[in-house]
Formats: sequence, C-alpha cells, structure tokens
Amino acid sequence: MARILIDNVRKSYGAVTVLHGFSLDIRDGEFVVLVGPSGCGKSTMLKILAGLEDASSGRVLIGDSDVTDLAPGDRDIAMVFQNYALYPHLTVRKNMGFGLKMRGMKAAEIDRRVVEAARILGVEHLLDRRPRALSGGQRQRVALGRAIVREPQAFLMDEPLSNLDAKLRVHMRAEIAALHQRLGVTTVYVTHDQTEAMTMADRIVIMRDGTIQQIADPDTMFRRPANLFVAGFIGSPGMNFLRAAVTADESGARVRLYGQDIALPPAAAAAAQRSDGAVILGLRPEHLRLGGEGPITFSVLPELVESLGSEKYVYFAIPPEHQLGGEAPSEEERRGDMMIARLVDAGDIAAAEKLKLSFDPRNLHVFDINTRNAVREES
Amino acid sequence: MKARRIDRVLLYGTVVLTCAMLLFPVYWLFITAISPPDTLRSFPPRLWPEIAQWQTFATVTGQRPIGLWLWNSTIAALGAVAISMAVSVFAGYSLSRFRVRGGNSLGLFILTAKMLPATLLVIPLFGIFRSVDMIGSLWSIILAHSTLIVPFTTWMLKGYFDTIPRELEQAAMVDGCSPLGALFRVILPVATPGLAATALYGFVLSWSDYAYARTFLTNAQTNWTANLGITTMKGEYITDWNEISAASILVALPIIVIYLFLERYLVGGLTAGAEK
Repeated sequence: MARILIDNVRKSYGAVTVLHGFSLDIRDGEFVVLVGPSGCGKSTMLKILAGLEDASSGRVLIGDSDVTDLAPGDRDIAMVFQNYALYPHLTVRKNMGFGLKMRGMKAAEIDRRVVEAARILGVEHLLDRRPRALSGGQRQRVALGRAIVREPQAFLMDEPLSNLDAKLRVHMRAEIAALHQRLGVTTVYVTHDQTEAMTMADRIVIMRDGTIQQIADPDTMFRRPANLFVAGFIGSPGMNFLRAAVTADESGARVRLYGQDIALPPAAAAAAQRSDGAVILGLRPEHLRLGGEGPITFSVLPELVESLGSEKYVYFAIPPEHQLGGEAPSEEERRGDMMIARLVDAGDIAAAEKLKLSFDPRNLHVFDINTRNAVREES
Repeated sequence: MKARRIDRVLLYGTVVLTCAMLLFPVYWLFITAISPPDTLRSFPPRLWPEIAQWQTFATVTGQRPIGLWLWNSTIAALGAVAISMAVSVFAGYSLSRFRVRGGNSLGLFILTAKMLPATLLVIPLFGIFRSVDMIGSLWSIILAHSTLIVPFTTWMLKGYFDTIPRELEQAAMVDGCSPLGALFRVILPVATPGLAATALYGFVLSWSDYAYARTFLTNAQTNWTANLGITTMKGEYITDWNEISAASILVALPIIVIYLFLERYLVGGLTAGAEK
C-alpha cells in the first residue's frame, strides 16, 4: 500500500496534447476513480501511472520513490485490463502466478498465494482451466486474482467491468468495492460510467479533454458540481439546464421561472452581468416532484414517459425563453431542449396529459454562461 | 424449396468439378508412374493400367539418389524457414506494434518485394554468391529462398500479431517482463498457430523452388535438391516418364503428409485475422 503522487503530468503526441498538467495526490489505501467521456485522457493517465506510456513531462511517485522512469514491472503495481488480458496459453493457476514467477518467487509460495487469492475470489475450482473455458465473470475474477496475488503497492484498473453484462457488472462492482475494503490497497480505477464512479470511489476525478474538471467525493460531486460539465456528467439522468435572465437590485439577484420569481445568490448577478444578463440554471431530474406541494409549481405537458417500474422519467419541453440553444455544453446535454423529471412511485402518468410539478429553488444550481463554472457564494 | 435444391446441386457440382480439376493431374501422375512405358502413349488413354508396375518406385529409388535429394531439399527448406522466421518474427512484430517514422512505407516496400518474380533476383544473387564463393553450396539456396520467404512471412505474421491484443504484452510487462520477454513468454506462445502456418508456408515455398536450385546448384550433384534432381532424369533422346512420375510422387509425398496432419492448424493460422 502506498500514497501515489502525480505531479503536473503532461502527455503529447506530436502537436496533440492529450493530458494538460495532471496533478493528483492519492492517499494510502484510497479508492480513486478517474471518470470522463471517451478521449478525455483517463486511460492515458492510467497507462502513464503503470509505466506503459511515457509522460512528456511531470513526475509520478508511488510510495516514496519516483517511478517516472521505471519500467512497468519495477513499479510494484498490478493492473486489471478492460479485456482482462489473461494469457490464453496458460492455466488460471499459471496466469495468476505469472507475475510472481517473473519476480523469482519460490514455487511453493506462489502456489500458496495463488490458492489463497483463488479462495478469496471463489475461483479455486477453475485453477486448472484455461481462460477460454471461463465465462466473462470468471475471467474478470481471475484477472483480479492475478492482481491481488502480487500484493502490490497499488491496483490500477482500466474499465474492468465494461465487458460484462449489466447484471454481472453491478455484482462485480460490489465485489471489487468489498475487495478494496478487505485489502485496503490504494486503487486507481478508470471508467466512463458515472454510476461506477459514484458507487465505488472514495474520491472521483472528472476529466474532459485532458484536464481535470473536479476532484471530490461522490456526494460533493453530486451536490456541488464545479462546472456545467460535471453537473451534466454526474447523475442519471443528467441535470436539466435552463437559461434564465437575471434581474439584480439591492435585495439581490432574481430570475423569473415558470412565472415565479426566484432569488439567486448575489454572485449570480455578477455572473449575469458578464453574459448578457443571463445565467444557466441547473435542476436535477430527481429534484422535480409530482404535485403542487413545492415552493415553485408549474404545469407541463409530458411528451414522453419512460417507466422503469419503480420510477418514471417524464420528458417535457423547456419553455422557449429558457432554452439553451448554442449555449448547451454539448448536444447530448441539450437533449433537444427537453427537461426530464424523475418521479418515484408516480402512479399512472400518460404523455400529452397535463401534469403538475414542483421543485424547491434551493436545489437550483447556477452556472456562469461564459466560464461555465458554478456560481456560489464564498463560504 | 426448389430453389434450395438447385442451390445444393450447384454447390456440390462446383465442389466436385473443382476437386476433379485439382486431383486429376495428381491421379494422372500416379497412373503414369505405375504404367508400363510402352503403354503411356496408347490411344485411347487407359484410366488404369492393365498391369500395374509398382516396381517403378523401387527402380527409381535404386537408380537415383532420391533420398539424398529429399534430404538436401529438407535441409534447404528448414534452413530457409529458420532464417526467415527469425527475421520475420521481429519484423512482423515491429510492423504490427511500433509506430515509427516511415513504418508504413517500410511495410509497403516489403510488400513490393513480395510481388517481384523470383527469376528477377536470380542474376544479382548469382553475382553475390559467386563473389563469396557460395555457388554450389546449399547455403546459396538457403539464403536465396530466405529472400523469397521473408516478405511473405513478415506480412503473414504482421497480420497475425495484429489480431493479438496489445494488452497481453502490457499485462506481461506489468507482471515484470521486459518488452522482449513479453514477446517470447506471451506473444509467441499465443501466436503458435500463426507461426506454424507461416513456417509451413515458407517450407512449401522453398520445397517447390526450381529456378534458384537450377542456377546455383547445377554443378554440385551431391547438393541437388529433389526438384532439380527430377529434371535431370529427362534424357536427351529417351525419357522414362513413368520413372519421373514416380520420383515426383515421392518428392510431393512429404508435403502432402505435412498438409494432411497440419491442415486444421494451417487453416486456423491463415484465417485467424478474420475472427477478430
């Protein structure tokens, strides 16, 4: 187990820079998840950490030693790959013991560790099989086993669950989290799935285009997103965004939404001043409630209702004056100018039938249109 | 239903026709070998001789050093394959894995070399071998065959390595292998079917050569390869076609046997890329 320090790591391929000064201090025993869309640089960062790619500049420290220029095998880390990367010509036993054999460990000790790891992961009965005779879940366990027998200073995991079906993914997610609790080994986990990040991480690092957007624990990431991108990325379905004109006077900043005045933090007035008098408001789908009990109430005409059994996703149009248009962070986040309400135990709801919804303005997030950063009072 | 039956008839018809076209020359070679010489030109030709002369095989092996020729062919083919594989494993792996300046052009250059006819290289190779006093030595055709085989095997192996996920050697490196160690401990064992198919292909290429052997070995009878030896059986005035046919069968036999035993391996190796 060890602390990992990534200090201002940059990576360029010719003129293309894929990592812009990545810095992160990972505590001993911490489970850190790097998350972001495809091409954000998260896997590149993990490979630099593993020594499979060279950093263009910057340093990587594992424990007390600077490993920036060390070969992968000399870094005392173990890695789990997306496609498991089990050696197809070796049995499970030999796959798991390969790294130990390469380090010159005695056969008896290798066998003891392999059997112990296999017992922890429930793959003892598979030890003499080859990888092709295993199911996806079993392969995943063996890949984890190959990592844990090494008893390394850190685990690096590169989207290890993305090749599994949805049900098994949920199961293995819990197993990896339990394994981390049991072994307490520092773990850096890469995924594009925000649910995995939220459920497993001690801390999440959200990346986009090679830069860190926010580093925080899952709750903070959800409640206090640093910017529009994080707000849209975390949460499922993602946050709703509306453009709103701000009026400012001595009493503070206000917006008018669905015919009702809503007070915003005074900092919103300054942000609006910089962007044609408007801000972007964010409201999570789960903060919309059915009925008129909330402080802000309005009626909508659902255009689509998706039922997930225990909850319903209700899609309705954003009023034209609140649509983001070209200011949307991305086409997916714009969602064709639709808002989503996530309603639990909502009963029967039909599309094209008027529906009353409400929300508490304290749940609104405010973003600067120009900087895309969250607008908050200094605390 | 009717359309399906027509499809089947067409399919089987094509298979039978193709097999007949491929196998008839082999069958005719065999018939020629066991027919008495005076019946070979009879008309209409007989599909099976009245009296099968099995002793032709004994005669030809007794009169000609077929065993020595086969041995020489084997040495030449094994030598050429060994050299070619040693070169093309590294060349194919590099082309598959490393992005270097000019890498693509280098690959295309090798591909172009593959397209050159063997006879084009005979004269320059002859010049080189003569200058190093290698004419007549088996080494001459071992090296000459390697120049033929390497472009083929490099591209075959590059294609095979492309189908092996990079994560395998990355996992091996994280497990403590050097890049070369990962190649030898993980990638090559995984690539065994591809290596076998490639080696076999090279072996056949060398075994079936005539042009190089004829040019470099003609004056060294003890180093004649099987193909070269057989052609010397054709006399100026009299040619025993049944003996040439018998010798040809004996020369083709090792390759046929290898194919029969390794056919599945070979097809697996050649089509591995398609399953990606």
